[in-house]
Amino acid sequence: MSTAEKTIEEAQALEGAPVLVGRPDDRALTEGLLAPVLEPTRKGFVLLLFALLGGVGFWLISLGATLFVGIGAWGNNIPVAWAYDITNFVWWIGIGHAGTLISAILLLFQQKWRTSINRFAEAMTLFAVAMAGIYPIIHLGRPWLFWWLIPYPSTNQIWPNFKSALPWDVFAISTYGTVSLLFWYLGLIPDLATLRDAAKSRTRRVVYGIMSFGWRGSARHWHHYRVGYLLLAGLSTPLVVSVHTIVSFDFAISQLPGWHTTIFPPYFVAGAIFSGFAMVMTLMIPARRVLGFKHVVTERHLDNMAKVILATGLMVSYGYVMEHFMAWYSGSGYEAFAFLNRWTGPYAPIWYMQLFCNVLAPQVFWFPSMRRNEVALFVVSILVNIGMWAERFVIIAVSLTRDFVPSSWAMYSPTWVDWGLLFGSISTFGLLFLLFLRFLPAIPVFEVKELRRELEHHGPGVHFQSPADAPGAHIEDPEEAT
Amino acid sequence: MKAHVLGEFAREHALLDAARALRARGHASLDIHSPYPLHGADEALGLKRSTVPLVALVGGVTGAVTGYLLQFYVAAVAWPLNVGNRPPHSAPAFIPVTFELGVLFSALAIFFGLLGGYFGFPRTHHPVFEVEEFRSASIDALWLSAEVDGKDAEPLAQELRRLGARHVSIVPEAT
Repeated sequence: MSTAEKTIEEAQALEGAPVLVGRPDDRALTEGLLAPVLEPTRKGFVLLLFALLGGVGFWLISLGATLFVGIGAWGNNIPVAWAYDITNFVWWIGIGHAGTLISAILLLFQQKWRTSINRFAEAMTLFAVAMAGIYPIIHLGRPWLFWWLIPYPSTNQIWPNFKSALPWDVFAISTYGTVSLLFWYLGLIPDLATLRDAAKSRTRRVVYGIMSFGWRGSARHWHHYRVGYLLLAGLSTPLVVSVHTIVSFDFAISQLPGWHTTIFPPYFVAGAIFSGFAMVMTLMIPARRVLGFKHVVTERHLDNMAKVILATGLMVSYGYVMEHFMAWYSGSGYEAFAFLNRWTGPYAPIWYMQLFCNVLAPQVFWFPSMRRNEVALFVVSILVNIGMWAERFVIIAVSLTRDFVPSSWAMYSPTWVDWGLLFGSISTFGLLFLLFLRFLPAIPVFEVKELRRELEHHGPGVHFQSPADAPGAHIEDPEEAT
Repeated sequence: MKAHVLGEFAREHALLDAARALRARGHASLDIHSPYPLHGADEALGLKRSTVPLVALVGGVTGAVTGYLLQFYVAAVAWPLNVGNRPPHSAPAFIPVTFELGVLFSALAIFFGLLGGYFGFPRTHHPVFEVEEFRSASIDALWLSAEVDGKDAEPLAQELRRLGARHVSIVPEAT
């Protein structure tokens, strides 16, 4: 280890674990990060693939049952017209939000630690939004007429009602899905070109060559690319906030006690980031171990993500307190009853589970040792995922079971189709993610190279020599030669 | 006949110096190829400020105006629904869709503007790809390229070698 390298490690010791361990040269970095794509198929991949395909089968059967039987295959009834379907929708769309937060908002804040996890988180966003988008469509009852949601001059002479929150949802979700896809793909293009150039087989060279559209790393392209990428990040930032705000309007704009609350937009956005970071953690902890990304996804990343989970967990807890305060302060007996029903009603166990998972569990992250303990991080991230699903169920379905008039009350219980749609979508999401890890660069290679240079040139008070500058490594410089 | 001259460099400042020197001698078609955005490349090539923000703005404004007019037409002209006696043209209710369409159009303009307009993609057959060593341009090396007349290719190749390039290749443009 050279002196300079030692100094940089020491300097970083003062500010916690480094965002990048060691200083591999560009070729080693490229080969290391692309290894999961370029190396031969592993046994574990095949096993996991078949396990997930089983879940996908369950999902397809449940979707089939929904299409052939109709909504009657679900446990939904009147008054509980929205249950697992919309719970799953809100849960998945919320999970997606962390990806955009990491890739766009942290980019604008120039957080260096985002670099190695942004691609990963964006892919998670994309697949989560794809899963989310299915529920409102199958919930239409006649999903084959889903295109009626789009305003177009039809022979029916009927148009969507833009004064309702539901058509806003159509625009918010489709815009979010499209912009996330464009942002993700724009970031992928230089890395697809790297894959094209690093691949040995002709098929891969051709496929990745087509996918990278002929990217040649031209400075004239980078020049516009960087501006465009930053602008997309700038657009995604208000977009991500607007999407969950609009989703929360689906509830907040209605009259139902438990839904009719002005705190919903910020509370939903915080909850979305909370659950999304938990999902990034759930996926990242095994992936960095199995795929050998520990030098680019370090303890520092886990530590920072745990802090975000703690912070957003506190915001969500504040939301719970405020909901109760407003129920009391509003003086509305119906509102007060809706919240009393959470503590003492027939679904109280789910409410207690929600409190345990979302309020209590993240508190362990006050301890720095817990923020670096992979087991603790993994367990808490799973609990938060469960807790946030429970939260959406309590808000959506439990509020519906007890509305204004006792004669219209009813209980809700899911059928096997409801469970199939939930667990099947988790498997499908897992399958898409597994394929992403196998066929696309999960860590942005070019951004890590850029990060390495930034750390060298603007590192903590140290000017570090790049390997290319090492004596005898390369050809002469004309300036020195003359 | 045109030709592309390519030279591979190992060190950033050698490449940037070479680019500056060649540009000073009047080579207008210079380009730098690097695996990551290279600081100083814009200045060395004398690139002007990017106009992508303008594309984004035009896209965004078009989207927002389209969104608002669409809702106005649908809710106030084509299908006026009386819901709770709210006015058919209710601006506050039209904000979310106006915003979403603004973002959508802007993002589409940026993405397709970059790929199709600024980059001229898809173009997988660019002459630089004729050189097998050019694969390193996306992995760990920096390349300088210039498009010149066939007769000027050999002198430029000499010049690049003198400026410190390791691999130098000439790709004659297919006629």
